[in-house]
Amino acid sequence: MSEKPPVLEDTIVAQATPPGRGGIGVVRLSGNKVQDICQAITGSLPVPRFAAISDFRDGDRSVIDRGLVIYFPKPASFTGEHVLELHGHGGPVVMRLLLDRCVRLGARIAAPGEFTQRAFLNDKIDLSQAEAIADLIDSASKAAAKSAVRSMQGEFSNQIEKLTEKVTLLRMYVEAAIDFPEEEIDFLGDKKVQGMLKSILSEFDEVTEKATQGALLREGVSLVLAGRPNAGKSSLMNSLTGKEVSIVTDIAGTTRDIVDNYIHLDGLPLRLIDTAGLRSGSDVIEVEGVKRAHGEIRNADHVILIVDCFAYRGELAAAAEALRGEVPGEMPVTVVVNKIDLNPDWQRELDGVPEGWVPVSAKTGEGIGCLREHLKQALGFIAVEEGTFIARTRHLDALARARISVETGGRHLVEAGAGELLAEELKLCQQALGEITGIVTSDDLLGRIFSSFCIGK
Amino acid sequence: MAMMVSATNFDVIVVGGGHAGTEAALASARSGSKTLLVTQNIETLGQMSCNPAIGGIGKSHLVKEIDALGGVMALAADHSGIHFRVLNARKGPAVRATRAQADRQLYRAYIRHALENQQNLKLFQQSVDDLIIGDGRVTGVVTDTGLRFTAPAVVLTVGTFLGGIIHVGMDKQPGGRAGDPPSNRLADRLRELPFSVDRLKTGTPPRIDGNTVDFSELEEQPGDEQRPVMSYMASRDDHPRQVPCFITHTNEETHELIHSGLDRSPLYTGEIAGVGPRYCPSIEDKIVRFADKSSHQIFIEPEGLNTTELYPNGISTSLPFDVQQAFVRTIKGFENTHITRPGYAIEYDFFEPRDLKNSLETRHLPGLFFAGQINGTTGYEEAGAQGLIAGINAARLAKGEEAWSPRRNEAYMGVLVDDLITMGTREPYRMFTSRAEYRLILRQDNADRRLTEQGRELGLIDEQRWRYFCEKEEAIQRQAGVLSKTYVHPGDAAVETLLGQALNRDHSLLGLLKRPGVTVNELMNAAKLDSLREEVAEQIEIDCKYEGYIVRQQEEIDRVMAQQEMAIPDSIEYGTISGLSNEVCQKLESVRPATIGQAGRVAGVTHAAISLLLVYLKKQYLMESQGKQGTSRPLKLGR
Repeated sequence: MSEKPPVLEDTIVAQATPPGRGGIGVVRLSGNKVQDICQAITGSLPVPRFAAISDFRDGDRSVIDRGLVIYFPKPASFTGEHVLELHGHGGPVVMRLLLDRCVRLGARIAAPGEFTQRAFLNDKIDLSQAEAIADLIDSASKAAAKSAVRSMQGEFSNQIEKLTEKVTLLRMYVEAAIDFPEEEIDFLGDKKVQGMLKSILSEFDEVTEKATQGALLREGVSLVLAGRPNAGKSSLMNSLTGKEVSIVTDIAGTTRDIVDNYIHLDGLPLRLIDTAGLRSGSDVIEVEGVKRAHGEIRNADHVILIVDCFAYRGELAAAAEALRGEVPGEMPVTVVVNKIDLNPDWQRELDGVPEGWVPVSAKTGEGIGCLREHLKQALGFIAVEEGTFIARTRHLDALARARISVETGGRHLVEAGAGELLAEELKLCQQALGEITGIVTSDDLLGRIFSSFCIGK
Repeated sequence: MAMMVSATNFDVIVVGGGHAGTEAALASARSGSKTLLVTQNIETLGQMSCNPAIGGIGKSHLVKEIDALGGVMALAADHSGIHFRVLNARKGPAVRATRAQADRQLYRAYIRHALENQQNLKLFQQSVDDLIIGDGRVTGVVTDTGLRFTAPAVVLTVGTFLGGIIHVGMDKQPGGRAGDPPSNRLADRLRELPFSVDRLKTGTPPRIDGNTVDFSELEEQPGDEQRPVMSYMASRDDHPRQVPCFITHTNEETHELIHSGLDRSPLYTGEIAGVGPRYCPSIEDKIVRFADKSSHQIFIEPEGLNTTELYPNGISTSLPFDVQQAFVRTIKGFENTHITRPGYAIEYDFFEPRDLKNSLETRHLPGLFFAGQINGTTGYEEAGAQGLIAGINAARLAKGEEAWSPRRNEAYMGVLVDDLITMGTREPYRMFTSRAEYRLILRQDNADRRLTEQGRELGLIDEQRWRYFCEKEEAIQRQAGVLSKTYVHPGDAAVETLLGQALNRDHSLLGLLKRPGVTVNELMNAAKLDSLREEVAEQIEIDCKYEGYIVRQQEEIDRVMAQQEMAIPDSIEYGTISGLSNEVCQKLESVRPATIGQAGRVAGVTHAAISLLLVYLKKQYLMESQGKQGTSRPLKLGR
């Protein structure tokens, strides 16, 4: 007879509604600290299973949002544990502040599929759903990995890796000093360790500042607009978003940089990215723009290829095909035929082109409704359980914890010479950084020590 | 004296009389099982085959844990220790360690006395050649003269004796230790069984005659003035006369000579295939791998009070004897030195420890336990710890009781066993504090508080030790209570002088103890209370200073424990779990972890994989309970 699995008791939190700018956003908590967290945020514990209205307060008593609170005591809840739902106004900032607050109160951001997993382990979901849960954990962790990667593209990711490497190196020195005190490698007393601590701290500040500036905020399904210069990408963007985002002129190559904007298609958040026209440009800035456009295309969830139905009389299909060649083969693509207002014969141009091409006029708005409908169908399935937004909140939280550890550890060393506490803090720091990169280091510190120092009496 | 073997049926048979064997035999006998210890040579019971020291970083932690469970190693070190030091004295208590240089003869004598006077234990001198196997389990052993002894549990602690080969230069000969024959017939027999066998290597330095050493050239290293003790039950009065150690260094001339002999070094000619420890390399290895270092430290350890022989720690070597002699004489203070025994390397068989359960019983042959170097470890302390665990569990198996093994958060012994059975090892495994994730809780000062109560339940703790432990624990609780309830007020001159600053409000003494640099007894004195006993003061102080970290680690332990402890049934087929990648499957298949916690520590097993495993186990549980109820409806266990 198998053993009955035990109940987990720590508290997890996640945004329960899809990420983006929906009207309502729900933050859900489950675990043993739910009552305390509810008290701290709303000032009281509401009657179970009744919606109560309350202010959601931050640590400094300032009001983050005002919304509904619903408390489900265990075992009559989704997960079988105490569950709390905070229904606030959707939108990244409010949700982020609420999640931050919960984390500071002792919750941790849930792992992919974790709520459902707990529900299952606590007998809240029956056996027939077990397979589905396995799939969910599998696909959700893949989706989370993908969105995590997207949230920390490029520079940020490199910096975290560099930081992790530095912390590991420092740990090596500290652990070597602890485990081999007679080997003439006791670095705790000399300036080396303190110098390394200082440099790590300032690097933390740098990364945190960049990460917080919002330059890294990427959320929703990313949809890239691409096409030859002057195909009307920027106009289409403006038409889809309903405002003047991209500078639209008749001069080809006006959009030299990446312009992005968020729109919602009936609650489905889209990050719409306008790119420089794909051509072999002449001036340096434009070449760079094209290079970056290709980068965006590679990272996209979906690409809209725009062709000018006026420019390729009779050759439209061939032109679109050539353009398709510049996009990775496995990338889902929608072809939009633009400028139908300029070509009265546009329907003839479209004779024989593949099913699913969407004719529009970005200028007059004709066909735009159709395009929205088409996109909804094509993109609706990319429903990531964990948006990049959550991933990013998790990263910032981990970054802050990592930094505090380095600071505290340094203080222990200076004030009490307590190398073992510095070691403990550095271990916590490395764990926190590992949460960001998703890389669990094999932690072969001893191996590094043996290859760096001559140990052994 | 219990020398005569009056019967041939026992509860537990221990093969080997080294550090693992003695602890195994003593633990088994202490817990009430009729035990036989079979050794090749009763004269070498408790022999220190390598350097004459017990303890060190990570190792004294093990020694004190053995002691806390009633073992003999710590007491033997106290009664034979001729030089004691606290290592990492200026770092925090969690990483402090004790080391004793021991007089080999005194150490052996103490061990032998303990074995000879242990109730339920008999000793027998003969070489074991074979195991008796029946019904797929071990039922006894056969000696080289054909004597048969039977027992439902057999512990093998054969050290480096299985297929041992000793190398000095290009000469090699079979041997289990210099001067002792190997156990080749037993090795051959074990190789026929379904164990996976590999080779390891270790080495020793040449020993030298102290009468030929110029001590005026050496740096003297005295023991600590405030001498530490190893056992919770010992005092400084148990220590014999104390002597100093010495330090000298190799130099460039030494290194040149060693270089010139490398073409006759079995390590570099490929003669030795076994892997040696990276933290205890031979001198030839150090010189080749760290060529930029022009000098290496040598610790000169006395072999005993009644001998002039010295153990120069740091120049273990398997170079030919003429090279050994030449390079030793280039070392400061050793210019006219006479070598009494050549250094040598030894290769030996060890068995893949991932084939063991956490009781140290082999998975392939029920009733057979392995402890010590046979499992790929090195060190007396590591051996003793495994011996103790194997001995306890062999006795429990004989009695039909469930296995017992400390967890990673309870003892370094738990870390040791779990590391071995989960990760295996590629080099001789030695304990370090950095292997323990709960290092702040697993200290050498609190091994008794972590383990003695469990030891009592296991039947390992005698009345005297139990009484002493209870009194100490009671004093700690009582005095901590006093400190938390005693308040000092602003203007209290004695306390303010001690703190070096004025008090701004009332403080409890326990609260003030948290401040860096403040000690319990200073506070007690300033508050005009009686000083506390050393070991009581120490515990209160450490508990207080580490409080935040201990609470955090404890929370983590509590959080993961329920899940960690969840058993994975032996019958599990990883291949049938949907979602598990092939890679993870293979890794789990090779280790076959006993619990979810252990599965999580297998390298390459992800968080998502553990989730899948949990869901799978839950599903199995549901299906089984469904089957029992004979219902085909989807089952809802929710209330």
